[in-house]
Amino acid sequence: MNKKQGLSRALQRREDVAGYLFMAPSLIFFIGFVIIPMFICVGMSLTDATLHNAAPTRFVGLKNFITMWTDKTFLGALKNTFLIVVVSVPVTCLFSLWVASATYKMHNVPLSLFRVIFYLPVVTGSVAVTVVWKWIFDNYSGILNTVLKTSGIIQKNINWLGTPGLTIWCIILILLTTSVGQPIVLYISALGNVDQSLVEAAEVDGANNLQVFWRIKWPQIMPTTLYIIVITTINSFQCFALIQLLTQGGSDTNTVMYYIYYTAFKMTEQAGHFGYANAMGVILAIFIGILSAIQFKLGSEK
Amino acid sequence: MKKLLAMLLVLCLALSLVPMAFAADEEITLWTYPIGKWGDEAAVKELTDAFTADTGIKVKVEYLAYADGDDKVNTAIAAKNTPDLIMEGPERLVANWGANGYLVDLADMLDDQDRAEILSGALTPCINADGVMYEYPLCMTAHCMAINKTAFEEAGALQYVDLENHTWSTENFKKAVAAVYDYFGETVGAVYCAGQGGDQGTRALINNLYGGKFTNDEHTQVTWDDPNNIKAMAELLELEGIEYDASLAGGDEIAKFYQGALKMAFCWNSVQQANPNAAGTGEGLTVTGDEIAYMHFPTESGEPAELCGGIWGFGIFNNGDDAKIAAAKTFIKWMCDSEHTKDAVLTSSFFAARTAAEGTDLSALFDSELMNEYSAKMLPYLGDYYNVIKGWAAIRTEWWNMLQEIGHGADIAETVAAHQAVANAAAAA
Repeated sequence: MNKKQGLSRALQRREDVAGYLFMAPSLIFFIGFVIIPMFICVGMSLTDATLHNAAPTRFVGLKNFITMWTDKTFLGALKNTFLIVVVSVPVTCLFSLWVASATYKMHNVPLSLFRVIFYLPVVTGSVAVTVVWKWIFDNYSGILNTVLKTSGIIQKNINWLGTPGLTIWCIILILLTTSVGQPIVLYISALGNVDQSLVEAAEVDGANNLQVFWRIKWPQIMPTTLYIIVITTINSFQCFALIQLLTQGGSDTNTVMYYIYYTAFKMTEQAGHFGYANAMGVILAIFIGILSAIQFKLGSEK
Repeated sequence: MKKLLAMLLVLCLALSLVPMAFAADEEITLWTYPIGKWGDEAAVKELTDAFTADTGIKVKVEYLAYADGDDKVNTAIAAKNTPDLIMEGPERLVANWGANGYLVDLADMLDDQDRAEILSGALTPCINADGVMYEYPLCMTAHCMAINKTAFEEAGALQYVDLENHTWSTENFKKAVAAVYDYFGETVGAVYCAGQGGDQGTRALINNLYGGKFTNDEHTQVTWDDPNNIKAMAELLELEGIEYDASLAGGDEIAKFYQGALKMAFCWNSVQQANPNAAGTGEGLTVTGDEIAYMHFPTESGEPAELCGGIWGFGIFNNGDDAKIAAAKTFIKWMCDSEHTKDAVLTSSFFAARTAAEGTDLSALFDSELMNEYSAKMLPYLGDYYNVIKGWAAIRTEWWNMLQEIGHGADIAETVAAHQAVANAAAAA
């Protein structure tokens, strides 16, 4: 009996070791490139660190966290970031759901065609997509101004990417084109997996289309919706490439993510810039964490 | 059999170590920004190969872009992984990395002959107030502006331009803009402010219109609230045909000018004139074949403007290895003060920062009427190199953000005061 127990323990240990060994490569990367930098980031946020190490780094407590609430640029960037999140998350979800609902019953060929069309901006890469949009929005020879002028809608060119209050909406539009691809594919898959017997039963009981959707399909695609909302929220909070490539934070389009990068890597002459950038990173992570937690909570209640 | 295999492996291992023994020759690393063809691998390889053949010192080159070059250098500084040599201008080498103590003093490379040969306008910005030399200058230019001569002619605006001396007065500039705008009905020139790229153009335009200054003489504070600057900004805002454009940076403006969309460019120099937009479609021509004339910025008196300069050369990072520092100095001497300097300067496409190097005359390097004329008409008017002010990166950021806000209708005096305060805080930090 003891011998048997010893053998099973040894087997169990071997399985555990094998499991950990399989996990090891990704675990090493996860710890090395996510967990440890996360702690370094929190630590740095409490210091006056600079990328240049000319002066010794000093502990400054919560000074960076206090400073940022009086920093107009940070507050402007925070406002823009929230605007992007508040607009792009629901629009992305609703648009994706609408497209998926309209296409998921189609035959394979047109369905694949729609999947490709909507997924193309996702796989094209943000730089290429942004360059194309930059051409479209060009102030002097952009296709949008040309079309609007030719059709008599506008008399003078509109500076789409150089007008505060307008440029941020152009950026949100571009962000939407790159964000909807994955949710559409996920929704098509989720809607395809809805239990048809329940749908048919509801229809037999006299439920209309809206009732079928709201009572039968919506609860079943809720996990997908939750995933899409969380991922879109995180991506929207981290909006960086579009800003970097189109406006460099100008025309009132700064976002927290871009301001973090700018403070960390461009403001190297500024005392304590690296610590300050880390503090902003911590605050951004806290906001993302809180919103994600709320979304998970609401999603699970539903 | 096993023994034979083992011996073979040992032999392979021994052979693999042989090249390492030969590799004991000194190797230095150079990071270079795209200064003319110093950003072109083939052109630079020709120079470094010749240098290696001459000295036995190998050079590993990494090419930086202006978009993220500073990020790479700053990250390398933090990681203590800087190159031995870096090629750029005094605003980075002297005012930033030198001032922060990362570069080696090159003053011992200068003798009386060098001091006599290097143009004072190029040498002065390379040396800080304490006499420490962080950059050994190789080449230089004076930045200017340009007009679409063909379009000006069509619009009857050429009468306002002195094409002989490439000068014009502020009053004539305004008349010319009005004439071209009336004729074409579209934006003539853009006060571009999407970013810091090419901001020397907007700085020179605003400073020269009424003789304003960018910084004080000591380069310790910016002086944007100079009434002459305020007046210039206000008039540009009012001038129909001039647009403060927050969607364009310097490079974009050049492209729009080259395409003919804009009829004047404020971001221009000899290299652009020789090869507009780097498109290879002919000296001094737009893509549609319109003639381009390079110009001084307009001044109130119509005299030549005070031009912003570009001075490029080498700095040496102090990595604590005396042998590498010595090898890097050999490289600088070879490139900047020898019979090879001519090739190094020609690779940059700009003008030599000195008149001669070890007996080689560098005063008329180019076999080109354009370059010789540019050298005579523009280089003598190189203005104060204020870029060495502390906090330059932050100051530039404030400049283009300030222009954006002015362009969007903010009160000029208040906006200038607010951004000047931040810029001066950066300069004082």
